[in-house]
Amino acid sequence: MAEKKEKSFEENLANLEEIVKKLESGDVSLDEAMEKFNEAMKLAKQCDDKLKNAEKALTKIVTENGSLEDFEIDS
Amino acid sequence: MNNNDKYLSVSALTGYLKYKFDSDEHLKCVFLKGEISNFKSHSSGHLYFSIKDEKSKINAIMFSMNAKKLNFVPVEGSKVLVVGKVSVYEATGNYQIYIDEMLEDGVGNLYIAYEKLKNDLQKEGLFDEAHKKAIPKYPKRIGVVTASTGAAIKDIISTIKRRYPICEILVFPSLVQGDGAASDIVKNIEKAENYELDTLIVGRGGGSIEDLWPFNEEIVARAIYKCGIPTISAVGHEVDFTIADFVADHRAPTPTGAAEIAVPNKLDVLNYIDQLKIRNKKVIRNKIDFLNQKLNDITSKYILQKPMSIFEVKEQIFDNILEKLKHNMLNLYNQKEKKYSNIMTSVVFKEPIKLLDIKTNKYLQIISKLETLSPFATIKRGYAIVKKEGKVVKSIKDLKSKDKLLLNLNDGNVDVEVI
Repeated sequence: MAEKKEKSFEENLANLEEIVKKLESGDVSLDEAMEKFNEAMKLAKQCDDKLKNAEKALTKIVTENGSLEDFEIDS
Repeated sequence: MNNNDKYLSVSALTGYLKYKFDSDEHLKCVFLKGEISNFKSHSSGHLYFSIKDEKSKINAIMFSMNAKKLNFVPVEGSKVLVVGKVSVYEATGNYQIYIDEMLEDGVGNLYIAYEKLKNDLQKEGLFDEAHKKAIPKYPKRIGVVTASTGAAIKDIISTIKRRYPICEILVFPSLVQGDGAASDIVKNIEKAENYELDTLIVGRGGGSIEDLWPFNEEIVARAIYKCGIPTISAVGHEVDFTIADFVADHRAPTPTGAAEIAVPNKLDVLNYIDQLKIRNKKVIRNKIDFLNQKLNDITSKYILQKPMSIFEVKEQIFDNILEKLKHNMLNLYNQKEKKYSNIMTSVVFKEPIKLLDIKTNKYLQIISKLETLSPFATIKRGYAIVKKEGKVVKSIKDLKSKDKLLLNLNDGNVDVEVI
């Protein structure tokens, strides 16, 4: 029941890129720019946190019948 | 003089050469590889052909008793490995190899098949750059079609974990060598389409050309071509490309290389996020600076600094108008006044009596003039007016004797008669 529909890292990063590009295009009012700026900083922090705190890559194996199972490879 | 003894017969020479060939230890059992050409299968069951490579050619014969043991059907161009002895066929003087055993040269034939398939698929457009999809920069989920054991999958997983741990990996365990590997790879590529993958790695670790062969199979090439997911081929080998490499959207030389292409480095991404932050701050700072400057420019304008100047200008204009109005009014007044005074100073208004006198005098003058002109004045002085039948008589010619006339005198009239 944590945050519903939490945006993925990739979506947040793409969003962040888009906002910065839009701001750089200069075609934004000051009010909107301030709002976008705050949003961008928030997104940057989220991306940053997510990447820094990323757990081990989740590896699954696709079985013969198409279901997913955890995959552990002995090293 | 039997000099002729010096000269050898052809058969003697040929016999000698045959003896030389046959007595040579090396030529008794020769292992030879090459490509079949000029292939003829005689009705007797003997096979006649040549074996050649890029530079040389040797005639070959395989007798039916050996030919019967062949486990493949030799054709023109077949790459073969043969064992036999080299000897001379005296009838033609040709040396040739008498083949005891012949095997298909797997690698050689694979190479031919590889070249042919590569050319065909290239012509068909399967390798066209235009068809290649871009590999996503920040994948969420990556699929790997490879053997579930072995170095390849380990390398891929460890590389992705190290570089970009937020990426999910789905392993599609597949046969990657031997019979059935190609169709298993195809099946897994098709299956992978159902798992919302951003990128698909298809590959295996290094091996011999035979081991890697599934990746040169047409069905695998077509499956990769058809696959909607951006694919990276990762067949561990050094020199040559597999067909899968040509048709994949991206080619990696090893499974580790494929993982490096598939995911970004976490540190680079963090760095990029920092850069975006900097750009974000910079752009907002620039915007604020710019607007500040604009505001300064506006507030420092003269009119805002001295707002009374607007009023002053207007006041001046108003004054000018008022001045003009006054002037014009005064002019008008003066004109009217002058006219009035002219009227008031005229004789009519000033001395109306005088005007009467003048008129009276004039009347009297006219009267007296009239008097002088009046016939009565003349009559008074003793003249008379003669009238005949009411008409004034001006000449004697108008008169005759006995005419009755009327005379007007000063104090009355009298009738007379002409004598």
